[in-house]
Amino acid sequence: MFFHHFKYTLKYLFRNRLLIFWTYAFPIILGALFYLAFSDIEKNEKMDLIDIAIVEEVSDEQGSGLPEGAVSTEQENGSLEEVSADQGSGPPEGAIPTNRELLLETMEKLSDEDSEDRLFRTVYVSEKEAEKLLEKGKISGYLLAGGETPKVVVKESGINETIFRQAVGETMQNAKLVAALTEAEIERQKKEAAEVPVDVETVSEKILREIQEEQASIRDTTGSNLSYTMIEYYTLIAMACLYCATIGMYAVNCILANMSKKGMRISVSPVKKGRLVLGSLCASYVVQLLGLALLFIFTIFVLKVDYGPHMPRVILLALAGSFAGLSMGIAAGALIQANETAKTGMIIAVTMLGCFLSGMMGITMKYVIDKNMPVLNKVNPAAMITDGLYALYYYNTFHRYWFNVGSLLVFSAVMIGISFFALRRQRYQSL
Amino acid sequence: MLVFRTYFKILTKYKGIVILYTVILLCFAVFNMQTSDNSTNFTASRPDVYVENKDEEGALAGLLCDYIKEHAEVKGPEDLKDTEGVSDALFYRQVNYTVEIPENFSEDFLAGERPDIVVRSIGDYQAAYMEMQLERFLQTASLYQKAGMEEKQLIKQIKETLKETVEVELKSSVDKEGLSKGAFFYNFANYSLLAGCVYAIAVALSSFRRDCIRRRANVSPINNLRYNLQLLLANGVFAFALWAFYVLISFVMVKDVMFTKQGLLFIANSFVFALCALSVGFLIGNLTTNKEALGGIINVVALGSSFLCGAFVPVQWLPDAVLKIAHILPSYWYIQNNERIAKLETVEPAAIKPLLVNGAVVLGFAALFVAVTNVLAKRGRQRRV
Repeated sequence: MFFHHFKYTLKYLFRNRLLIFWTYAFPIILGALFYLAFSDIEKNEKMDLIDIAIVEEVSDEQGSGLPEGAVSTEQENGSLEEVSADQGSGPPEGAIPTNRELLLETMEKLSDEDSEDRLFRTVYVSEKEAEKLLEKGKISGYLLAGGETPKVVVKESGINETIFRQAVGETMQNAKLVAALTEAEIERQKKEAAEVPVDVETVSEKILREIQEEQASIRDTTGSNLSYTMIEYYTLIAMACLYCATIGMYAVNCILANMSKKGMRISVSPVKKGRLVLGSLCASYVVQLLGLALLFIFTIFVLKVDYGPHMPRVILLALAGSFAGLSMGIAAGALIQANETAKTGMIIAVTMLGCFLSGMMGITMKYVIDKNMPVLNKVNPAAMITDGLYALYYYNTFHRYWFNVGSLLVFSAVMIGISFFALRRQRYQSL
Repeated sequence: MLVFRTYFKILTKYKGIVILYTVILLCFAVFNMQTSDNSTNFTASRPDVYVENKDEEGALAGLLCDYIKEHAEVKGPEDLKDTEGVSDALFYRQVNYTVEIPENFSEDFLAGERPDIVVRSIGDYQAAYMEMQLERFLQTASLYQKAGMEEKQLIKQIKETLKETVEVELKSSVDKEGLSKGAFFYNFANYSLLAGCVYAIAVALSSFRRDCIRRRANVSPINNLRYNLQLLLANGVFAFALWAFYVLISFVMVKDVMFTKQGLLFIANSFVFALCALSVGFLIGNLTTNKEALGGIINVVALGSSFLCGAFVPVQWLPDAVLKIAHILPSYWYIQNNERIAKLETVEPAAIKPLLVNGAVVLGFAALFVAVTNVLAKRGRQRRV
């Protein structure tokens, strides 16, 4: 009798076109949309070149009065002479002019196509043209390098502009560094051999080279698995798993006497209810797993989603998730006194809400809930599935994964327990 | 006004779904629209950085912490309790960069060693900026240390050097950030408006189109024209109310922007789109009387056009091929307008012209949907009689 019921439930479920749409086609359509929308998003996040312009001529506002070209050398020599003449007391505050040549050279280096540290895509234009480019949004900002003090002009306060400012500011800091270090070096040389005259230019050149060669001791320990679009696919799997609830609900509905004529006939048949429910359960699970398999095949082979090296564990979690969905559907079928449409609506609404909270419409949501209302995501099966897959992808340990698998099983047990008490010994006075 | 009243009676039965879409819109708005000061001076971006200082006694480590604090929003161990908290924060982009200063850092550094600062980065612009700053600090400190400076002098010199920066002039007086938030809100409203409006209208219409109801209406003394006019009015009133409600929300969420001329353009643009959503509702409501199938169709239409046209993901981040396909959807033109409005410096005729063109395209879509609906409805009537 079990197999008889199993077989007919299967047939019944497969013939429900709407059900097949929601459980088979919808997740695949959504996955395709995710793929289309998110395929470029992380590329954009990565540091790209920043478009800037450099105005080498002297601007009207800044007008230093010095002829172009002469500015740099005079300034450079000036600064160094100043230092050597003023060795004892150190350079006076703010008296060190910015080294224009140093600035332009550094900017050129940062725009060098062959350089690994390239930051900028630079054009050299007149001030008017730079203004036009900025207006049109072709560049993030431009540098007025002509005058005594350089100036950066930008249109908005964004990160590109901030990086631009930092890069220019660093070259100005370098001028200060050179001055301070040169002074220290000269003092040291003097102490060592007081009678030998100090060659300021060689000293400062040496220091400049040192500055450029100085490496900061930073160790980057970032892992490689940082792709947050994976969360979107995880929520998709969570959704597909939970849509199993609609299957379970349909299957239970067809054995409930107060839901359909078929239900009445089945209810009066001399078959144990437990056996019937078990048959419905198994058939629903089979239908669900087929849908899930299609989704996995689609995401892996068509969308090229990489689930990482723990595929068997991913599948185990999906199995547990589907079971949780199924149990939720059975509970909905048994507890809610409404027609099939209303029940489906409720299941879909609950599932969508769960997926929303677990980050389907923006992964920040999951983080916010995890941080501020952890209880909510601890009882949300969509979050359990998403978090389990996330833990598997991001962490090297498995305890969080197993915790989520366990949570899903507990959730299923509670749902089935509730349904058991709701379904057993149902009697109807009239139908 | 029997038909009119009945329409709203049916709608109240399905209010849950409309409320759901509105709540989603609200949640999104709240999470993405934290207030910002719209100053006309240049304000540097501040990355979110997690700093763990294991060398609390060290002066140099203290200086480094202060330096980072000056340029970034710093989160410490008290904000993110365990290591998993930090890792999670990094993955979910709540923190761009993490810095761990090792024990005895200051002492070792002054002794000429270069202990590694352990960092983790999500590799975006903000993280790159933080790394630039960190490198700069370490380079400066290292150079001064090599020059033989003592701790006190070293710290003074580092402070002096890193103080140096370049003057920045901000050319624009428009509140760009506010405007782009406005655009973000109205872009997302594309989904809520489309899903909510289309769902409610389609469900209500399909109820009226059920055979038994239609036949009953046909034999009733109410004439066909009045019947249809009342339906049209009811749909219009509903769409208008929903649109007005969303505009109201926008006034609460991004009020600084809404009281500008650009805000007015946002409102006008969304009104045109609401009309289009109304026509889509008409069309879908006429396709089928099966309410469950309607749910499926609407979800695919609303989610599909929102994803493809840039309602969820900013337009500039979408692949070009996707945007090409998106041209065939009205949402694309609506969202393009929002993006344009967000970039408007001044509201003048020349700037508004492309907006009008896009608006006309949206209206064109609406007209097309109405025409198709009429053809379908006529065929349906002929078939059934």
